[in-house]
Amino acid sequence: MIISGILITLYILYLFALLVKAISVKKEKERTSQSARAVDPRLGFLGFMGFAGFLGFWTYSIDKTIFPFIFFMFFGFFGFFYEGKMSHTFMDERYRENKLKAHMTANKTAFAIIFFALLILGQGKLMGNLEYTLIALIIVIALSIALEIFLGEYLLYCYDNDEQFEESEE
Amino acid sequence: MSVPDFECRLKKYRLLKDLTQEQLAAQVGVRRETIMRLEKAQYNPSLKLAIHISRVVGAPIEEIFVFK
Repeated sequence: MIISGILITLYILYLFALLVKAISVKKEKERTSQSARAVDPRLGFLGFMGFAGFLGFWTYSIDKTIFPFIFFMFFGFFGFFYEGKMSHTFMDERYRENKLKAHMTANKTAFAIIFFALLILGQGKLMGNLEYTLIALIIVIALSIALEIFLGEYLLYCYDNDEQFEESEE
Repeated sequence: MSVPDFECRLKKYRLLKDLTQEQLAAQVGVRRETIMRLEKAQYNPSLKLAIHISRVVGAPIEEIFVFK
């Protein structure tokens, strides 16, 4: 029993080390890469999975299951439409600056929404019911994460393509 | 993303060197869109890029990028 417990713990630690290593390799690759990663814009259709979040209202009424609400996060995958359009873009200093700005704006927006939602819903009195409060909180957090994922890519696309119609060799 | 009181005379010096935006972009390691926005004074370049451009077009930085 003790040996199996130790072995399982070691295995979990090994998996964790592999995960950390994979993440660091990916980060290093991103840092040294000269062009944006290639993404198929059709992956954006995964965003429609976000509508599965509405199933939560049905499952909650049947057996109080609230798990489907987290599917609202998938709305963020609509951002792949924009990331796909930016595939293989050469990442010069202006691109990197725009990317940083876009992701900072997205993070700030999502953080502000979560902050105010926690402030309001955290009192637990808004709906007079703790279960409803929990559901509202899950929905708000899931949608905020979706917004953060989507907005980062959308804003980057907008910043990088503003005044596109004026682009011409003069 | 316009920079107030900032004038860029890059186009003038680029044409003097008979370079297209594409050629200049390739030489300084940026995209053509970045050169285009620089020429319209819609982008404030890093010091590194400014020096690089200055060397390629053969003109002093303070004559290419004029901050009023």
